[in-house]
Amino acid sequence: MQDSPVLSWKVAGLLLGLLVILATALVKPFGVSTQYVVTDAIVLHSTAPAAAESNEYLNKYGEKDDWSVGYGWMLVLGMFLGSGIAALVTNRFRQRKNPSMPAMWQEQFGDHKGKRLIQAFIGGLLLLFGARLAGGCTSGHMISGISQLTVGSFIFGASIFASGILTARTLYKKRSSS
Amino acid sequence: MKLLLGLAIGTAIGAVMQLGGASSYRKILGSLLLKDMTIIKLILMTIAVTTVGIYALDLVDMANMDIKPTYVLGIIIAGLIFGVGFAISGYCPGTCVLASAEGKTDAMVTLLGGLVGAALYAVVYPLMLPLINLTNFGKITLASVFNVSNGIWIALPFSAILLVLIFRVLKDRYE
Repeated sequence: MQDSPVLSWKVAGLLLGLLVILATALVKPFGVSTQYVVTDAIVLHSTAPAAAESNEYLNKYGEKDDWSVGYGWMLVLGMFLGSGIAALVTNRFRQRKNPSMPAMWQEQFGDHKGKRLIQAFIGGLLLLFGARLAGGCTSGHMISGISQLTVGSFIFGASIFASGILTARTLYKKRSSS
Repeated sequence: MKLLLGLAIGTAIGAVMQLGGASSYRKILGSLLLKDMTIIKLILMTIAVTTVGIYALDLVDMANMDIKPTYVLGIIIAGLIFGVGFAISGYCPGTCVLASAEGKTDAMVTLLGGLVGAALYAVVYPLMLPLINLTNFGKITLASVFNVSNGIWIALPFSAILLVLIFRVLKDRYE
């Protein structure tokens, strides 16, 4: 089956765990969502510096004269490169029939590229709004947070799965009737 | 130097996650529909390994921990919002980066939506502060709550429970 992963969850989980331990020993635990703010801060700082400097939240992620990328941003860039290389090497780059629509989504919602992209955009917006309100995402809260036994991370994990499961069920309700 | 280290660790993490199927819409929705447990098992396996590793490092004072504050109400609301985005897009903030690198254009749009969502949060941040400060218990962990000085004594049984769960209780597929 083309969708079955190259690595089993056992091997991938073990390796990912060792990498997060390494990151925690050398620098700090692993997290992604902060880097969206860092990216926004860099973009805004170069286009509208006054607005960037006056925003209380963005200011937490940039010094007055140094709004450049750091370790965390390079880590996310690395994730992009690593994923691309892995996909190329295993012949899974651009493997989808339709690059904008997952086959499973297409079966449920039909051949509507625009509708898929609107969902993808709104989904992304909600993801980062939620992650920033929580102070982390699947990586920073779920993986790194729970691994440090952080109480709030357990709460976040329960909350995202409760809401994610409910939303997924609503989206895929009529699946059998089509 | 630190930048290169970030790039190297990130590249390894990205490759492992991609090879593990974390960037697959079908795998993520399969998890949320509770039909395909691959991603849930992958996450729990990672947590089982990492928890023991971090608290073992902590014993020799080598863990650079970063505990996030527990503001219960704000985190619950944040999780509910995040969960809707998770199911609608089929990605999370990290996996849409991975999927973008595979040439999936919907993931690139999710990434863009994420940048807008983070910017939106930066704008309304002052309004969110009361919600964050309302039920804030600070940087608490299970170890601090139960007054255990060496977290490893919680980490070990916790990881053992996770391993039993993923190897003995959860099945790969539920149809």
